[in-house]
This record gives sequence, structure tokens and C-alpha cells, in this order.
Amino acid sequence: MRLPRLFRTTPFRLTLVFLSLFAGAASAFLAYIYLATAGEVTRRADFRVSHEMSSLRAIYGQGGLTAVNQAIIDRGSSDQGFLYLLMDKSGSPITGTVARSPVNDFADGNDNWASFTLTERASDGSKIVLPARGLEERLPDGNLVFVGADVGEAESYVVKILRSMWGAGALMIVLGLAGGLVVSRDVNRNISGLTGVIDAVRGGDLRARAKVRGAGDEYDELAQGLNDMLERLERSIGGLRHAGDAIAHDLRSPLTRLRARLEAAMLDAEAGRTDPRTALRQALDDADAVLRTFSAVLAIARLEAAGDAPDQAPFDPSALASDVAELYQPLCEDKGVDFRAEVSSGLVVTGNREFIAQAVANVLDNAAKYTPPGGAVMLRVRRRASGDIEISVTDTGPGVPEADRARVVERFVRLDNSRNKPGAGLGLSLVAAVARAHRGELELDEGPGAVGSSGPGLRVALVLPRAG
Amino acid sequence: MRLLIVEDDPEACQAMTSVLAEAGHECVRAADGIAGLNAAGNEGFDVLIVDRMLPRLDGVSMVERLRQEGNQTPVLFLSALGEIADRVTGLEAGGDDYLVKPYAFAELVARIEALARRRKTGSVETLLRVGDLEMDLIGREVRRSGREIDLQPREFQLLEFLMRNAGQSVTRTMLLEKVWEYHFDPQTNVIDVHISRLRSKIDKGFDRPMLLTVRGAGYRLEA
Repeated sequence: MRLPRLFRTTPFRLTLVFLSLFAGAASAFLAYIYLATAGEVTRRADFRVSHEMSSLRAIYGQGGLTAVNQAIIDRGSSDQGFLYLLMDKSGSPITGTVARSPVNDFADGNDNWASFTLTERASDGSKIVLPARGLEERLPDGNLVFVGADVGEAESYVVKILRSMWGAGALMIVLGLAGGLVVSRDVNRNISGLTGVIDAVRGGDLRARAKVRGAGDEYDELAQGLNDMLERLERSIGGLRHAGDAIAHDLRSPLTRLRARLEAAMLDAEAGRTDPRTALRQALDDADAVLRTFSAVLAIARLEAAGDAPDQAPFDPSALASDVAELYQPLCEDKGVDFRAEVSSGLVVTGNREFIAQAVANVLDNAAKYTPPGGAVMLRVRRRASGDIEISVTDTGPGVPEADRARVVERFVRLDNSRNKPGAGLGLSLVAAVARAHRGELELDEGPGAVGSSGPGLRVALVLPRAG
Repeated sequence: MRLLIVEDDPEACQAMTSVLAEAGHECVRAADGIAGLNAAGNEGFDVLIVDRMLPRLDGVSMVERLRQEGNQTPVLFLSALGEIADRVTGLEAGGDDYLVKPYAFAELVARIEALARRRKTGSVETLLRVGDLEMDLIGREVRRSGREIDLQPREFQLLEFLMRNAGQSVTRTMLLEKVWEYHFDPQTNVIDVHISRLRSKIDKGFDRPMLLTVRGAGYRLEA
């Protein structure tokens, strides 16, 4: 049988553990007090009894048995609190305030002390049981004398303390258990909110979120952490799903075209009509385009799924930008586009060199593609006042209308006026993914403005956070 | 050349063999890593073509063992894993080049021939000569028929690569990888522009062009 949930929580178990520890410690403490006090009380009674016995012995030394007998009669009626009994050699009582000696087997030479109880009747008639100590000794003439005294009052005081302490202990245990249950219920309520979310996510609902109560305690931290994790997870799964849809969407049409071309080529070849080589060559081009799109989408999705870009190291962004610029400069110049680079030196960024090079190449590729002859492309690398590093490319092409700027970064988005240019609409998506993977940003702005029929141009900036 | 293809897919291997045979190379096939290790150890090959994913012993481990045994035959890795990290793993294991599937056959042939050639020119050269074209690697000078040709640093590197692989096709991807050291695929053919600039410098004014475009493959420098 399993205990109800409330009793299985950690706080409840801790309560039990601490309660037993505390009860153990308290018992040990009480036992020590009892032993120390009770022992002391008994020792004191014993001392009084031995003292009284010595006094009787002294009386015997002066006046013999008759004097002792008289002393016992006198002292027994006084309020000294001692009990007396004078017995003959065989132990039969002669005089005294008790009927019988509680000391057993004294004749055998055993211990002549005894602990016993005596019952007194209080003034209201109720019985009081008192613990007592007694000593029995043989007088030189062979008669026996017993002296006893109650330790009662002192010892019963200790017993009372003990009793009340046991009561307090019982109360403590009850309160402790109750407190444990309350805390346990509180924890239970907080945790069941979180486990509810986990169950929902396990069931496939990635949008479930834990409630953050705003108390700022560890449950809030846990809930916030869980929510952040789910946010990330949802975004990256969403990204993959979107990538899957996009791939399916964008690959279907070229694949269909490829299939049609191959089919037509086969029919033509079978009929001996035309040379199938032209069709096959086109089919190969189609296949290459599909593969390029596929690997670009895959690269973006992987970069997004990875979170931070892998293999990051510090490097000089100026050297990298100049390197990529050198790759594109002839392309621009051949097209009649003025290419300039304005690169600050002595800068350092931390990142994945290869990804950033590819991002810069993609941006330059777009600039070279869309800037008409007679225009200009400017590459600039500089440190912003904030310390962030900015790699920007400004061109004098048609630019991107403000309303479309957020959209062109999405996968496969191509503006209408670029449909006749090659490309799958993945270039800027990759740049954005690279920026995100470096905790940086991709900014799109208007270029230098319209000049004649061209412009207003576009300024694309990859902003990377400063190193460290 | 004698080539060892270590590839578990018989169909892919068949296609490769027929293409390479057409280019004049003889191919032997091993179907898994252990068989590849044995074949490469027992017979002499000019180049090993090794798939990364192999039964029994994966390609990277196989090449690592070969290198431990002292076998220095050039290795071209074939892989569907195209991340930079995968490429680095392959090259660190002792691979000499890395080609991501799917690839054009022209790319495969060009890379294999470049690998075999790299092996032959073992000693450090200071002077490259292709026909009447000369490159002084120490003085950083280029002459054709005695006439000095002025090249930009990158053009010099580009020509050096072409001269080292003279008579053989090199692809645009190879040039981007070996000369610029980029492993991505630019959307526009930036390489073509660089080649045409280089061509105008080394071929202009001479009656016979040396830098040829190979249809469907790339470029070739011909003596």
C-alpha cells in the first residue's frame, strides 16, 4: 500500500526526520535530568537516614536498649519525618512507627538498605504514595533497628516535571506533524502546477506554461526556468516544422519540373525524335538547384536548432570582411558597379569565422546582384559607440520597402521585383540565423536615397556583440 | 591510376567505377571498413576513395589505422555529412580531401586527379613551369615566353593552384576551397570573374590560350 501523496512529499519526510531527532534528543536530556536529580534526592535521604541511625547508636552507647526504645517512642511521635522500628533478634517488632521492616534477607548479610514506598493518607482522605529509603542495623546486643525516611516530596517534584515535559513533547509532536502537513500541502500545490505543465508537454502541448506567482521564490525560479526552456523548445521545433513545410513547398515545384523534363526526354528518346542530351543537361541543372536549396535550408535550420554557433573563436572582422570583399570586388567592377571598402583596423569579435564569412558573402552577393550598372556598393566595418561590431553593406539598388523589411528575412521570401533574379530567397535568412547564433542582430535600412531612376538603395548591417 | 573505392552501396560504387574507368582509371572495390583496410594494406593504390559511413569499421577509423600503420596513400572522403566540424574530423583523421554527397562526377574525377598529382610532386619546388609559362615561387614572379606578367596576390595563388594541377580539370568549388579557403557555395559564380581576369593577363597577346573552360566541370590550364 502506498501512502497518500501528501505524506510522501519531501517536506513531510523531513518533518518526520526532524521530529524523531528532536524527540530522541529531548528524551536523552530528560533521562539525564531524571537520573541526576533522582540520584541526588535519594543520596540525601540516605544521608539523613544514616545520620539518624548513628544518633540512635550513640544513644545505645549511653543508655543501652532501654534508651533507644525510649528515643524511638519519642522521635516517632515527633514530626521529624523518620520511620522507626525496633525488633528482637529474630526480627519480631518491639516498638516503632511501622509494622514491618521492608529490608529483606538482612540475616543473609546482604545489602541492609531498601527502597520502598509508603502510603499516607492526606488530610482530605486521598492516598499519597511516597517513595522512601530505609536502613536496618543490628545493635551490639543482637536486636535490630530500622530507620526509614521518605524521599517523597523531592522526588515527586522531579516526577511532576517529567510528566509535564512528556506532555510538552506530545504537544510538540502533534504541532510538528501538523506543520509538516501544512508545508507539505503547500509544496504539493506548487509542484503539482509544474508537473501539470510537464505532463501537458509530454502529451504534446508545447504551449503549456507554468504559472509564475511573482513571489520571487525558488518555485517561481523553477517555473520561469521551465517556461524559458519550453519557449526555446517551441521556437526551435516550430523552426524545424516551418523548415519542413518550406522545404516541401519549395522543393516540390523544381522536383516536379525535373520529373517532367526527364519524362519528356525519355519519350523523345524512345521515339528517336531529338537528342535527349539537352533535356538531360537541364535536368541536371534542376537537380543542382534543388540540392542547393536543400543544403541552404538545412544549414539555417541547424544553425537555429544549435542555439549558439559552434566553434567560436576571437578573430579580426576587418581581415575577414576584406577577404570576402576581395572575392566580390571584380564581380561588381565587371558589372560597372563601384565597389569600396571602409574597414577599421584593430577590431576583435568572437564567433564562427566560416559562418560570418558566409553571411558577409551572402549580403555582398545580394548587393552585387541588385545594384544596377553605374551604382555603388560600400562595405564598412566599424566599432559602434556601444562597443558592438558592425559589418554593413550599402548599395544603390532598388532597396526594400520598409513594410517588407521584416519579411525578407524569412525563409523563401522573395520580393516581386526579384523574381527574375537567380536565388531561392534564403540568403538573408541565413544571415539572420548567423546573427542570432552570435546573439547579434541583422538590421535593414534605406540606402543613400534615390538618384534618378535608381535607389533608394539598401543598407544591411550584421551587428555582432563585442567580445567578452 | 589504380583506385580503391571503399563503399558499401554497390550501385553507387558501380556508377563511380564506370565514370572513373572512362577517365582511364582502374577501380577496386571494398565493401566495408575491414575489407578496405586489408586491401589498402596489401596492394598499392594511387588514391583511396573512402565513404565515411561503412559497415564493420567506419571510414574515419579505417583511415586513422592506415595512417598509424604508416600508409600515406592519399585519401578522399565521401560523406553525406557536410558540416564544417565533420569535414575537420575527416581531415584530422588523415584524409586529404573531403567531398560531400551528392557531388558531380566531374568534381570527383578532378579531386582524385589533384590528389594523385599532389603526391607525385613530393619535393618542395621553387619554380613551376607549364609550357611557356613560368612561376618563380620565391621571387613571386610570373613570365610567359619571357614576358613578365603582373598579378595581384590572389591571382598569383589562383595561378599557382592551376599550374600545380596543369593538364587536369579543377572545379569552381575546388578553387574556392583551396585558394580562398571557403567551404560554402556562393550563389553567383564569383570565381568565373576572377578566372576571366587571370585569363586576360596570361592569355592576352598570345596566339594560343592556356586557361581553358571545361564545360560542366570547371577550368584547366593546358601547356
